[in-house]
Formats: sequence, structure tokens, C-alpha cells
Amino acid sequence: MPTGILAGVRVLDFTWVLAGPYATRILADFGAEVIKVQSARIARGAEDNQTGYFQTWNRNKKSITLNLDHPAGRGLALALAAVSDIVVENFSPRVMSNWTLTYQDIRAVKSDVIMLSMSAAGRTGPGTDWLGFGPTLHALSGFTYLTSFSEQDPLGLGVPYGDVISGLYGALATVAALEYRARTGQGQHIDLSEYEALCTLLGPSLADSSVTRQPGRPQGNGPGEVPAGPHGCYPCRGKDRWCVIAVFNEEEWAALCRVMGDPAWTEGFSTLAKRKEQATELDSRIGEWTAQHSPEEVVAMLQSARVPAGVVQNAEDLFQDPHLAARNVFRRVSHPRLGETASDASPIRMSGERGRTWMPAPLLGEHNRYVFRDLLRLSELEWSEYVQSGVIG
Amino acid sequence: MTLLRHLRVLDLADGPAGFCGRLLADLGAEVVKVERPGGEDSRWIGPLRRSLPDPEESLSFWYHNLNKKGITLDLADSAGQALFLRLVPHTDVVIEAFPPGTMAGFGVGWETLHAANPRLILASITGFGQTGPRSRFKSCDLVVSAFGGHMFVSGSPSTPPLRAAGEQSLYAASLHGAIGILLALRKASRSGQGTHLDISAQEAVVSSLEHVLVRYVFDKVIASRQGARYWNGSFAILPCQDGHILLTPLQRWETLLQWIAGEGMAEDLERDEWQDESYRRQHIGHLLEVLGRWTRTHRARDLFELAQLMRLPWAPVHSLTDVLRDEHLRARNFFVDVPFPRAGESLAFPGLPYRFSSGPCRPFQPAPRVGEHNRETFHRTLGLSEEELHRLSSLHVI
Repeated sequence: MPTGILAGVRVLDFTWVLAGPYATRILADFGAEVIKVQSARIARGAEDNQTGYFQTWNRNKKSITLNLDHPAGRGLALALAAVSDIVVENFSPRVMSNWTLTYQDIRAVKSDVIMLSMSAAGRTGPGTDWLGFGPTLHALSGFTYLTSFSEQDPLGLGVPYGDVISGLYGALATVAALEYRARTGQGQHIDLSEYEALCTLLGPSLADSSVTRQPGRPQGNGPGEVPAGPHGCYPCRGKDRWCVIAVFNEEEWAALCRVMGDPAWTEGFSTLAKRKEQATELDSRIGEWTAQHSPEEVVAMLQSARVPAGVVQNAEDLFQDPHLAARNVFRRVSHPRLGETASDASPIRMSGERGRTWMPAPLLGEHNRYVFRDLLRLSELEWSEYVQSGVIG
Repeated sequence: MTLLRHLRVLDLADGPAGFCGRLLADLGAEVVKVERPGGEDSRWIGPLRRSLPDPEESLSFWYHNLNKKGITLDLADSAGQALFLRLVPHTDVVIEAFPPGTMAGFGVGWETLHAANPRLILASITGFGQTGPRSRFKSCDLVVSAFGGHMFVSGSPSTPPLRAAGEQSLYAASLHGAIGILLALRKASRSGQGTHLDISAQEAVVSSLEHVLVRYVFDKVIASRQGARYWNGSFAILPCQDGHILLTPLQRWETLLQWIAGEGMAEDLERDEWQDESYRRQHIGHLLEVLGRWTRTHRARDLFELAQLMRLPWAPVHSLTDVLRDEHLRARNFFVDVPFPRAGESLAFPGLPYRFSSGPCRPFQPAPRVGEHNRETFHRTLGLSEEELHRLSSLHVI
């Protein structure tokens, strides 16, 4: 018996790698029936069902195998779209057209379908065919330029943030479109651009640049426009151990000084203006103090004095983090080939919702029989013909 | 008709968490920003349009509050609390971003709100969530980015860990919050039951780490900082005549080599050993030096356009002015001009990342002035008389 807020919603999922699967994983986590369309040919790399990567982004989904280059494969995809509520894809804009599986084609068999098309730069405009992974779009959007210590040496982000943001916007647009459909009976085609999604998260900086006509300034770990100082990342005792400290008012500054033992040098930094002006010297003074302690010690001392401070945690720290453990963030699921696995739960925490039991990511074509026989009601003869001719499988 | 036309939201979230309500307002919800009398603190946080001590000049306040209405109300005052509780039956959603326990301290905690409107959705967006040993920690984007694991893997091996530009932990939390609100709305329309959403910005950061968690769980690898090389070494950033280009030095070697050799700049890269990807990885320093001598002879835009024609996922490292000038974004009408009523001018802001074929988003509206919709809200929705409004105003309740 399906459970969850989206129980009864069926999603035909043509997505791959990260941005698309991230969006449909949110829908699957909340109970939608997500049917992932795969083929033996593309089930490699990030789409290899036997990998931890695939398991992480495709938990709670079903898998079918369908050869879309075969006319009968396209026919079965349309038949499935006709019994689905949502279709999601994140190919380059021309791929679905090549299969003649455009929004128009799908709407002809399901008039109120909600179709989400996610791409690097959107379905219109001179850059519609740009090929981009996360770092490509970080560079285009200004994220790489700003997330650096200097203009001469752009660094950027260490994770594919753009794909995640695009996945979140995709899920948001889809549930908003579901709400609209419930009220009006109308479906929707949604054109989502990852490039634009990233730009929206630099809104204040872009608005400022449109006024000043300045290129912007790499922020490093400084406070940007927020009135704070000190505001930085400091070395601690141990190998590659770091903490962060941020001070937003005089009360917090006084508390920081007290914890450091009120050294004489702090007198030269008695106002925010002085602390911002001489930020480099201030940071090195604070770094001399933090280097004597572990990040956990610094943070425990400062947080009990009500000063914002944090441990720069690595992957291992996260899995040992008592706070994340108390909130049951990492959950285990047993996978038939990979054994015991763990991944992070959705940050969307709802009162009164019991945590649903997770299903492992599907094996390649694991749900062919359920989808083609039970859902589409193909006869045993049709089914075996499709399997033999390679349309399914 | 807009997508979320019937949704009513009271938004108490100051600062970047105001982005959650903004996301719903963009899709057509009626979002009323509730500020303390005189205006929220974030009205004085830059970037400022002009350096004036004026609550209507903050571009970040504007960006987080476009398309909303605005009222003032003092939640620290019992009359203000009573007024707020009278608004609750007229709303579907309350969004707040106070430290845990603050709402209860004001007498408007989840139990009270739930009793006043059983279908109500309360979305609480905080650094560490409502429960757990760190829930009372002082937090900000820097602290949460550190604890969330993003900083450790950004930056280069020779630099400290690096925070992402902007206040990303709260934006990511806002996106999760907005999705959660619409899911909870679906639940309320079926069961009649409201929901308290507990959104932790630390968890929003954790859920953006991709390879960091996957490699730890399955390969026991602790990811470290790789600078512009990215975690798998597949990218690099090199200088051009006019800025920098992000490129893929290892991928599609034949294509890349042919291109550089065609310009007579391949140096020793045509030797056979470079055909081997593992050799290229081992000698990446030399490879990037040669590539750098070549990229310096070109403009970033020219390299980008040629590379894309060859299906190489390269990009120029855009500054903000480059983004604002980008012809692709302009052709999609991505930037929207928002009228700035007092100055009689308009300002360009990033628009929405999605286009809907039906149920269009509405034209952008300016962020509200302090208390701009007090009369409309308190008079029309609650039926307060002019005298009452005047009295509350003189007592600084609104």
C-alpha cells in the first residue's frame, strides 16, 4: 500500500547523473511512484545501477529498460506517459525531440501532464545547446569568480552545487504545478535553466553590480556586505583542522576577547570599523590563538560564551557528528548487491510524518514486469515479443 | 492565473531566510512580510543602492522581499502577539527564522498556532534545526557552511577551507522549506492537518555534498580541497588575454590536441606518452603549463565558443558584469526591471530560473516599504477601526 504525501502520483523519469535524479529523489522520498527509464546501453558510469553513486540518488525509485531508438520503444514510453502525472528529463534540449517525445507529443496522450525539462542553459536563447556540468555553470554564473581569494586565481566550489540547486528548483516547480493542476485541471511544461538557477542565488551581488557596473569582488571567507568582524576560517591544532569564527556585535567581540584571555593586542580592535580595516592582522592574531587548540575546543569555548563559531567538518566528521546523529540524518538501507549502505535524509522534516521505510535503488530493469505487465497490461505474448526484439531490456 | 494564487503566507523570516517566502511569492502566493515597527535589521544591510541611512536602500533586503506585501507588528509586545494570533486563522502558512524557542517565548509557538488554525503550516528555518544538542548554538552562514561539510572541500590544498559566495546555506534551506510547504499543503488539503516543518541549514548543506558523502560511504575516502581542479581532477582554470577559462584538460584528448597543434602550440604534447590518460594525470602540472601558454593567446569567450562547438563543457569565468551582459540570458529576458517607486527609476534583478507554459508568474513587484500594507491588512482583513489602528501605531505595536 503506497504511503506518503505524494502517494498516487506517478513520475516517468528520464533523468540521469545528478540534477534530474536529485529532483525526482525528492518526489520519491515523499511517496511518488518514480519509474526511471533506463537502457543497458546508458546504464554506465553514474547510471550504473550497481554503484554507490547510483544507489544514493535513486533510492525509492523503480527501474525499467526501454530502447527509445526503436519505434515500439517510443510507443511504450508514450503509453507510460499516458498513465503518469509528471514527466521529468534533463537531457540537452534536442534529445527528447530526436525521440519525438516532446511536450506536444506527450500532451497529445495525456492532456494535463506536467513536464519538467531541466537543462544547462534553458530551452531558448543562443546558448541552448551549451554542454555543461556543475563547474561549467558555476563559472558562467559568477559563483567561481566570487568564491575565491583573489581575481587572479579563481577557485570555485568543491561540490556540484548547481546540479543540487537545479534539482531543488525542479522539485519546487513540479509540486507547485501539481497544486495548480489540482485547482485548474491544467498541466504545464516547465523550462528550467541551471545557469539561471545559480544566478538567482547571487541576487544581491548581481543587483549591486547592475547599479555600480563593477565586476564584483571575490569574497574569500570575509563577511561581504554583512557588518561583521572578525569573520573567517582559522587553523587549529592537528593536521588540516580548522574552525570558523564570526562576530556581529560588540557583545560578541567582548566575549571572544574574554575567552582568549583578554590579550593586550585586542585593545587596538575595539570597534567594528577598526576590525574591518585591519582584518588581515586581526585574522593572523586570532589564528595564533586558535592554533593552540583543537577546533572542537575552540567552538565549545566560544559557543558557551555565545560567540558564533563552528568546526570545519570533513566527511568522516559528518558521519560521527552527534548532532546529525541525534537528528537521524544518515539512514541505512540494505542493497541486494552493495550490502549495507547509508545516505542523508531529506532536510524537509515534518511533524507527524513517520519516517518512511526506504527502498534501495533499483537494479537495471528490476520493475519491467510490474510496469509492462501489471501497469500497461501487455499480454504475456506481447511482453515476450518486446523482450526478444530488444525493445524492453 | 498564477500557480499559487490561493496561498496566503505570513513571513516573519528576516535576512536571507526571507528567500523562502520570496520563492512562494514569485509563484503567485500572497506573502505578507511581518516586520517589527521601524523595519527589520536587514533593511540596513548592504549592498546599498546609495550609501544612505534609509530603510528602503538595501538591495539584499529588496532581493529577499520582492513580490511581498509588508506589515509591521511587535511580537515582543502582548498587544502585538494578540494581533498576530488574530491573523493566523486568515493564513495558510507562517514562515519564521528565529532561534528555536523564540516563537514560544512570544506566546506564538507551534502548539498555540496549531490551536488557532489546525490546518496551519509553520515553517521554521534555522541553522541547526529545532532539536538536537546543537540547536541552541549561535549560527550564521559561515558557521553552518563549516559544520555542514562544504567548506572543507572548497578552496585549494594551499589555502584554508573556503565558504561559497553569498549566504548559500540559508538559500538552500529556503528551497527545501518552500518544497516542504507545498508538500505540507497537499497533506493539509487531504487530512485537514497542519504541519510544523523543521528545516536545518546544516542539513541543507549536507544534502548538497554529492561525491563527499558517496565516496566516504562506499570507498572510505575523505574528500579534500582540490582548488579549480574539482574533486576528480577533470577541470582546470587557466588565464586568457582577458580573464580566465574553465576547461577540461584530460577529456577528449584527440580533439583538444588537434586544436592546439593546429595553432602550433602543442609543444611536446604530441609525443605518444601523452595519449595515455594516466600519464596526463601524473604530469598534469606540465600539461597545464603548456595549455596555459596557449590559452593566454586567446580571449576566454572565443575559446568557450569553439570548445562548445566541439562539445567540450568549457566556460569563461564570468565576473558579475559579464553575467549581466551575457547575450544568452538577455535573449531569455532573464533579468527583470523592478520599479523603484520613490526614485522614479527601476533596477535590474535576476528573474526566475523557470518558465511555465501556462499559469504564468506575475510581473515583479517592489519589496514593501516599512508597514506599507498595514491599513489594508489590519483594516480590511481584521476589521480594525481607524481609531484602533491609530492607537496601536502610537503605542509602537504596529
